[in-house]
Amino acid sequence: MRWTVRGLRLVGAVTAGAVTALLGVVFVLAAAPFADRPAVRAAAARMTGLELRRLRLDLPGRDADGELRYLAARVPVGLLGGLVVLLLVIGASVAVRLLWSWSRGEALDGMLPTPPLLAYAFLSGVVLLFLNLSGLVGVDVLERRLAVRLLVPDPTEALRRRIAELTESRAGVVAVVDAERRRIERDLHDGVQQRLVALSMLAGRARRGRPELLEQLHEQARQALVELREVAWRVYPSGLDAHGLAEALAGVAERAAVTVRVTCELPVRPPVPVETAAYFVASEAVTNAAKHSRATLVAIEVRQEGTMVVVRVRDDGIGGADATGGGLTGLARRVAALDGRFTVTSPPGGPTVVEAELPCA
Amino acid sequence: MRVMLAEDSALLREGLVRLLQEEGHDVLAAVGDAGALLEAVAGERPEAVVVDVRMPPTHTDEGLRAALEIRRRWPEVKVLVLSQYVEKKYATELMGGSIDGVGYLLKDRVAEVGDFLDALDRVGAGGTAFDPEVVRQLLARTSHADPLARLTAREREVLELMAQGLTNASIAQALHVSQSAVEKHVNALFDKLALSHITGYSRRVLAVLRYLGS
Repeated sequence: MRWTVRGLRLVGAVTAGAVTALLGVVFVLAAAPFADRPAVRAAAARMTGLELRRLRLDLPGRDADGELRYLAARVPVGLLGGLVVLLLVIGASVAVRLLWSWSRGEALDGMLPTPPLLAYAFLSGVVLLFLNLSGLVGVDVLERRLAVRLLVPDPTEALRRRIAELTESRAGVVAVVDAERRRIERDLHDGVQQRLVALSMLAGRARRGRPELLEQLHEQARQALVELREVAWRVYPSGLDAHGLAEALAGVAERAAVTVRVTCELPVRPPVPVETAAYFVASEAVTNAAKHSRATLVAIEVRQEGTMVVVRVRDDGIGGADATGGGLTGLARRVAALDGRFTVTSPPGGPTVVEAELPCA
Repeated sequence: MRVMLAEDSALLREGLVRLLQEEGHDVLAAVGDAGALLEAVAGERPEAVVVDVRMPPTHTDEGLRAALEIRRRWPEVKVLVLSQYVEKKYATELMGGSIDGVGYLLKDRVAEVGDFLDALDRVGAGGTAFDPEVVRQLLARTSHADPLARLTAREREVLELMAQGLTNASIAQALHVSQSAVEKHVNALFDKLALSHITGYSRRVLAVLRYLGS
């Protein structure tokens, strides 16, 4: 039973392959002159996707540049499959006609069902069926091999790419760390230190015979403490480790200069690096929105999608965010370091959407 | 004294203005960046300017550039520079010309209200004021460890205070010894540092600092 299902599925797949090969010829001939256009590439990607589904092949990280070439190369194989299926159909119809005539005792082409003839027909039928089925399987294997060969970058090339990626993301991480250190130094210098100097100056003046300054002094000391807390929080939100992402993002919402709505739906706590990256993506995006976009509402959404944690920050501001600006570049690098995907869409007029997909596997 | 201020932190600027006014100084202008300071000085010559090194737009050394410019264009204006950290490079650049009426203090020194005001008075009077911390670091970093190594602990203390721009009388006060004892130490250390031929108060600071900072 299982074999019958598999056989039928195979016949179906090869037949479909013949049909798509015919379509493929038309597409490749029409598209070849415009191979580099995004629309053509997208169409080729869609068709390749269909082929892979037909072959039940999963090729993660397939090479988008090879798709058109693959579609062209598989045309002959697809047509061959079509011929094999055609032979199967012819063979089956001959067998049916023989059985039909002989079962009613009639002759077919002047042949009566004598034992030698029966034996000959049976034997040759079985052999031909075997050959035909082998052909079907062969076409399927050929198709798969061709797809793997043309769509999967060869291992050395893949390794080379991976090394280039890693080198870049490693340099990126260092740059991010340096930028953050600079920011921390600036925070400490421009905020906390100035306050403390001013505070000591007040104290000095108070001691030089202006006791009425004590109240101001007290107030400034309080301010300095608040400032220090804020700076420390910007460096690393202590609540993140203890209470998790949702809590830390709630803190971002409280501190933000705009209204922030947080939706954080994670069935399990992601690993710490992912949590931290998600936090900084969200908080930096909110800071950017508050500073540049004139947004009135920012929505932070954190969801689990398969093995990915997806962070989306959307604001209703004026758009036109510069993805190459300091803050966003830093985020992109941070996400790249975790092999995640980072996108910013910010058409003029808004809305700006910052999205990061962080793998948790 | 007629003073101008350049400091980017509004809070600190306000505090400084108050402090100077309480001390009876006349604050002609208090601005937040180097450009505005140069304009103000060009418009109305103060006796002294107090300028923060780190100011917008780049937060590196705008204030120092402005101070050097003021020294070049209006040599009669005294300059007191406030620096975030001890920057040997800045100190040496400031000492590049004459160091009469030049001061280089750590910003935190402003918190020691008395010290800050004394330094400003010294600079305003045409003297010198170098932050004790600056002097200490220059002393510590000196490549001429040998002659320094020959100084006694007391002589070293005297040298530090001297490099800050203190007079012998003030040094005697700070160390709680008699002025003649200080003079003895000064002569001894000048001998050891082979500087005994140099006379004059600010020249000695210059000589010491140049020597140490070279």
